[in-house]
Amino acid sequence: MSSTTPQLGEPLMQIRNLDKSFGGVKAVDNVTMDLRAGIVTTLVGPNGAGKTTFFNLITGNLARDGGEVTWLGRDIAGIKPHRIARAGVMRTYQDLRLFDGMTVWENVLNATEYGALPLPMSSSARAERRDRIERVLERTGLADKRDTRALDLAYAERKFLSMARIMATRARLWLLDEPASGLDPNSYERFLTILREDVAGGVTVCIIEHNLDIVIGISDRIAFLDRGKLLADGDPQSVLNDPELARIYFGDRE
Amino acid sequence: MEAYIYNLVNLIAIYSILAVTLNFIMGYAGIYSLAHAVFFGLGAYTSSWVAQNVSPSIFVSYPAAMVAAGAVSLFLALPALRVRGEYFVAASLGLQVLSVTIYSEWKGFTGGIGGVLAIPPVDVLGWEVFRPGQFAILSVAVLVLVVLLTTALVRSSFGRNLRAIRDSESAAASFGKNVPMIKTISVVISAGLAALAGALYASYLSFINVESFTLDTSVLIMAIVIIGGTGTVAGPIVGAAILLILPSVISYFEFLPQTEIGSLQQIIYGLGMTLLMIFRPGGLVGRRPGR
Ligand SMILES: Nc1ncnc2c1ncn2[C@@H]1O[C@H](COP(=O)(O)OP(=O)(O)OP(=O)(O)O)[C@@H](O)[C@H]1O
Ligand SMILES: [Mg+2]
Repeated sequence: MSSTTPQLGEPLMQIRNLDKSFGGVKAVDNVTMDLRAGIVTTLVGPNGAGKTTFFNLITGNLARDGGEVTWLGRDIAGIKPHRIARAGVMRTYQDLRLFDGMTVWENVLNATEYGALPLPMSSSARAERRDRIERVLERTGLADKRDTRALDLAYAERKFLSMARIMATRARLWLLDEPASGLDPNSYERFLTILREDVAGGVTVCIIEHNLDIVIGISDRIAFLDRGKLLADGDPQSVLNDPELARIYFGDRE
Repeated sequence: MEAYIYNLVNLIAIYSILAVTLNFIMGYAGIYSLAHAVFFGLGAYTSSWVAQNVSPSIFVSYPAAMVAAGAVSLFLALPALRVRGEYFVAASLGLQVLSVTIYSEWKGFTGGIGGVLAIPPVDVLGWEVFRPGQFAILSVAVLVLVVLLTTALVRSSFGRNLRAIRDSESAAASFGKNVPMIKTISVVISAGLAALAGALYASYLSFINVESFTLDTSVLIMAIVIIGGTGTVAGPIVGAAILLILPSVISYFEFLPQTEIGSLQQIIYGLGMTLLMIFRPGGLVGRRPGR
């Protein structure tokens, strides 16, 4: 059931010796990793392992203490988050951060609008964009809710809206922070279908996920983070079967 | 009676422009400024100076007012980029207080406490517009332009970007938006258009002084926006109309003791605003906030 045959592509993002401390706590500790084209890398690890912080460093939301991150061969140190996003690296947030006062449609539409000032758009480009958004709303099951404010959506719908926003962009690398947590089994299926389709369509994914069924269902590779350190980075079977990692993950520690 | 109504129309139009332009940043970008009267004043002083020293043409003095206010608004944009909520309110308050001091002291430009006298009427294609009836056409026309422009902006990607930033700055940036740039542009547009209200005010009254551009005015403009309905198109205009018509309605009831009318007005305002916020927090025009 696992898709363990990695179609090893070129490394899109290269992360070398990445460091970040908060006060005395090393949230990310000397992490080195490649994110390769077309590969789904799943980031697992206990609470507080530094997974979200790792994303924040890549996207420029946080300044790193040390190390290097290159995207398509270019160093992205000190680059502002909006520039990194425009370069094709986009993310979702663990706490979603939807545009709550806006409708579902506006949320998704606005995810595709980068420019500060409105630029004139040809009617064909406009129609193409509208079709793209329609399609995203259908796939996420939000088509009926297009005029509902994000604030008024149910929990699972909010999670899917967070996905819908990134799906509507043309980002090449998606960083997904626990997009499936708390979903019911039906929603899991929908989520897995979406992810598989978009990965087949050429998107590269790095996803933080706790649910083992989902981890097994989507991962080409698993990276295991604990207390900021990358303890393992390899094919799913070898990482999941490592008894030492299982012990850490399931909290069997003093 | 006619002159009285035209006068009211002019004042409502001018305050509506102020409320619409404050609503533009307050209702959409979440920038709560208590310095809006600064740009009202700057527009008035600049257009007066230009009308007296360069040309009273609407195509010279009014744009000059907009440019001056837009440029000075960068001082307001600066804190808006760094802090939010109550911290920004405090920063805007500082700018308001500072500006009143400058307006009171800079005699060469503002006439100091005494103000600017004998401002020439505005010249529209060779017509001097000064009679209240004619002026009402001009002030309403400017209001309509300001409403059309801000509404078009708010309904465009620019408006969605503002609301996205208001709801989550970090998420907006994660979707490629240059947050500081968008905020700055919104503040500059708001101040530049507010200056039009100042220019209208100066050429209408032909006399201005700092009294009109104090913190009281900034608070009044904010009250108009909140009472009318923050983040709505009609709200600021409805709010301006009500707050400006109310005093005359109250003084119309002759059985009321004329000496007490001032305090009666304050009581009605205060009570009305409190009740409104309890029962219709979205304002008269606004919809109720969701759960
Ligand atoms: N902005 C911050 N300021 C201070 N400490 C932080 C900050 N962000 C994270 N931390 C700390 O860094 C460590 C790693 O946190 P992080 O959120 O990256 O963990 P995580 O792996 O995403 O955990 P979870 O599974 O609970 O989401 C934690 O100890 C956390 O308290
Ligand atoms: Mg996290």
